Amino acid sequence: MVSFIVSGRISEKYSWAVTFVAPLFLLVSALSAGYVFYTIWGDQPYVVQWSWFTIGDTNLSAGIYLNNISALMVLIVTLISFLVHVYSTGYMAGDEGITRYFSMLGFFTFAMLGIVLADSLLLVFVFWEMVGFASYMLIGHWKDKPEAAAAASKAFLFNRIGDAGFLIGLMLIWTNTGTFDLAELAKVQDIYSWQTTASLCLFCGVMGKSAQFPLLTWLPDAMEGPTPVSALIHAATMVAAGVFLLARVDFLFTPTALDVIAIVGIITACMAALSALVQSDIKKILAYSTISQLGLMITAIGAGSSAAAMLHLFTHAFFKAGLFLCAGIVIHVLHQAQQQAHTHFNVQDIRNLGGLRKKLPFTFVAFILSGSALAGLPFFSGFLSKDAILTAIAGWKGSDFSWRWIVFIAAFIVSFITVIYTFRMIWTVFMGEEKSTASLPVVEPPLVMRGPVALLAIASVWLIVSVNPFHYHGWIFNVLHSGKHFDLGIISFISVLWITLAVATSYFIFRKKTISSELLLNNFYLDKLYTSAIGKPSLRLASMVSFVDRKCIDGFIHVSAYAQVTTAHFIGWFDRAIVDGTVNGIASLSRVAGNMTRSFQGGKIQLYILWAILAIIIFLIWTLF
Amino acid sequence: MSFVTVMFYFFEAVAALAGLSLVFVRNVFYGALLLIVCLLSIAAIYILAFAEFVAVTQILIYAGGVLVVIIFGVMLTAKISGRPLVVKHSNLFGGILASGSLLLLLSYFILEQNFQAQQNDIVPNNPAINSIGFGLMTDFVLPFEVAGILLLIALIGAAVIASTIKSKKI
Amino acid sequence: MFPIHHFLLLAAFLFCAGLLVIIVKRNAIMVLLGIELMLNASNLNLVAFNQLHPAQLGGQMFALFVIIVAVCEAAVGLAIVLRIYQYYQTSVPDEISELRDS
Repeated sequence: MVSFIVSGRISEKYSWAVTFVAPLFLLVSALSAGYVFYTIWGDQPYVVQWSWFTIGDTNLSAGIYLNNISALMVLIVTLISFLVHVYSTGYMAGDEGITRYFSMLGFFTFAMLGIVLADSLLLVFVFWEMVGFASYMLIGHWKDKPEAAAAASKAFLFNRIGDAGFLIGLMLIWTNTGTFDLAELAKVQDIYSWQTTASLCLFCGVMGKSAQFPLLTWLPDAMEGPTPVSALIHAATMVAAGVFLLARVDFLFTPTALDVIAIVGIITACMAALSALVQSDIKKILAYSTISQLGLMITAIGAGSSAAAMLHLFTHAFFKAGLFLCAGIVIHVLHQAQQQAHTHFNVQDIRNLGGLRKKLPFTFVAFILSGSALAGLPFFSGFLSKDAILTAIAGWKGSDFSWRWIVFIAAFIVSFITVIYTFRMIWTVFMGEEKSTASLPVVEPPLVMRGPVALLAIASVWLIVSVNPFHYHGWIFNVLHSGKHFDLGIISFISVLWITLAVATSYFIFRKKTISSELLLNNFYLDKLYTSAIGKPSLRLASMVSFVDRKCIDGFIHVSAYAQVTTAHFIGWFDRAIVDGTVNGIASLSRVAGNMTRSFQGGKIQLYILWAILAIIIFLIWTLF
Repeated sequence: MSFVTVMFYFFEAVAALAGLSLVFVRNVFYGALLLIVCLLSIAAIYILAFAEFVAVTQILIYAGGVLVVIIFGVMLTAKISGRPLVVKHSNLFGGILASGSLLLLLSYFILEQNFQAQQNDIVPNNPAINSIGFGLMTDFVLPFEVAGILLLIALIGAAVIASTIKSKKI
Repeated sequence: MFPIHHFLLLAAFLFCAGLLVIIVKRNAIMVLLGIELMLNASNLNLVAFNQLHPAQLGGQMFALFVIIVAVCEAAVGLAIVLRIYQYYQTSVPDEISELRDS
């Protein structure tokens, strides 16, 4: 039962020595996780505890607390991590830091499993920090790139800010209940005033880790890391840790705290979705989409349905990992092709891409499958989980009009925008004419990279959640959902309509765009009459669309960007003035002390003995008299 | 004052004097000889303290073994360095301060305590060597074996360290 | 039986003399001699206290094992000293300043 932790540890150790053993061990741990999942699922929580250490009379225990949520997470984490490991053997082949890479990947997985399995909040915090550290190492894996190093420190700093909140929350909980044990905390039923503060502090930690509203900018920057790492961070481990923590301690949250959480979540979702619309870097689009999906999950938790959030986390893990790995394939093969053809352009910029469906048919299909799940098309898993979230919010908003309605409508808008940017990405990358890539000898990647992608893409269809493609009450949701059964058939109907509408819109917008630009292109050298008859309306349409794009959306983005820049400057100032000042002060202090003690250390053994004896004598006099 | 008492204080005085002069002597060879004198008188004190076996071991091992090895070491190093075996002193003030204050502390505490024998004047009837033999093979058999292994390790280690033949692998 | 204080005082005196030898002498072999002296002083303590419990042999046994360990220590220590002579061509421990921070 506990064996999979052991195997996690082993995999961590072994990947130091033999990098290619690492996927094998992850496979073992994934299998054992599957077994654990099979045993635990739907049953009573499984608890193992042993004494960790004692401070005074306070006995802190460490242990394992396995319930449905954590069993599900264990499965997700090990499975995705295994696929990413396999994929990485292809992606990172030939990289010089591959040993470090694999060991950190194993460590990352291990730390995440620790978060998932830990039975006390303190232990969760320890592993939480380990996850932060591992992500720092992985994001900054290409440490020679200044952007990567900056992004890694940024991610680390943002996590620190959140962790400070987490720590304060922990202290509050400890002083008020005297226990970190999750099972015992769950018994605290009464609503106390401190709970609001404590849970908001915990949520602050979640904000850092899951990239919620004030602290969201590190995640897009984190795209400087290797793409499989992005997949792992986004899908299974790091950002999911925040959502998982919220779902784990959802009994702690008071209604006020839940409202705050919902608002923060929806703001994040809207902002990130709008940002995703205008990005041109393929990985950044995916990053922003992750943030917006996370915002939706957080909103669902705020709406009181952690089951819906976990369901979305589950489906999101698969399709987002699939998307990232697809993007990784695109980047990887284009890089290789560039090296052969001796050309250079930014392969991550989707404006340089296009028409890849002919050259990468497999990736194209996989991307379409995963992307449809992200967009929430019917018959895909994303549809069902999003449906669950929307239903939860609909049930939460009540029948009277209040600010909660705004959240509800905003959630719908977010899902609409999700469709649009997903299809924008698919269209620009895979459809249309080949631009810079036309002359490149692009070939499909090796099987170790295609296999995981295929698995993940297949996992994006609806069957993984429930048999009925329009009803999300499948095997996962029914077990996770313990409270009253709230069901609105109309919601799923509406969302089908809504998403179809969105698909149609995006299809028309982007088809028009490409067509109109083609027309424009043709007009200049073909026929002037044609220009006045058909070209002008299409030109007007095109310019209108671009106007909307530029003015409304870009304006909003700019405002938010300025706000973020200001925040970042403030944080930077804080860093320089206070943090650095403290650090420098301590450094100079220790230098003075070091110079002082250096004089003792002359390399003369007998002098050492003399000093030691004198110290012992002083100590004796001190204690005995 | 019986003869045994005289012997006891005589040997105590000899040991103390030998230890003290070990501090002042400048020649390593003389130092080794003084140490032999000191150890032998300590062995005599052992006998007077009803620890005959320890005394015999002391004489055998220290006077017969260790000191011989040390004297060999003195001769070997003297041959290599070629310098006279006169030893300089350093840290004299600090050393005297440290050991003097330690001596004061120790004597203060020793004189303050009152040690009482639990069974007064019960001298074991059977010879101590007999019971030591039984003890070594029954209660203390594990430390005994471990000590044997330790001796073996020390023997091999000393031989390896001191050997001048350079192995070609390293 | 002699008063146990006398044993202990002699042991303390020898111990401090050995300590002084270790600190003061600028020769590695003399340092080893000082160590032997200190070990013997502690051994004297053990034997002396064994007089208080003549039925039990713990003190004498301990003294024996201390002697054994002292033998090992002397053998290895002398071997190291010889090696150091061959390597550094010096007998003064202070001149071997590998431990010094440059």
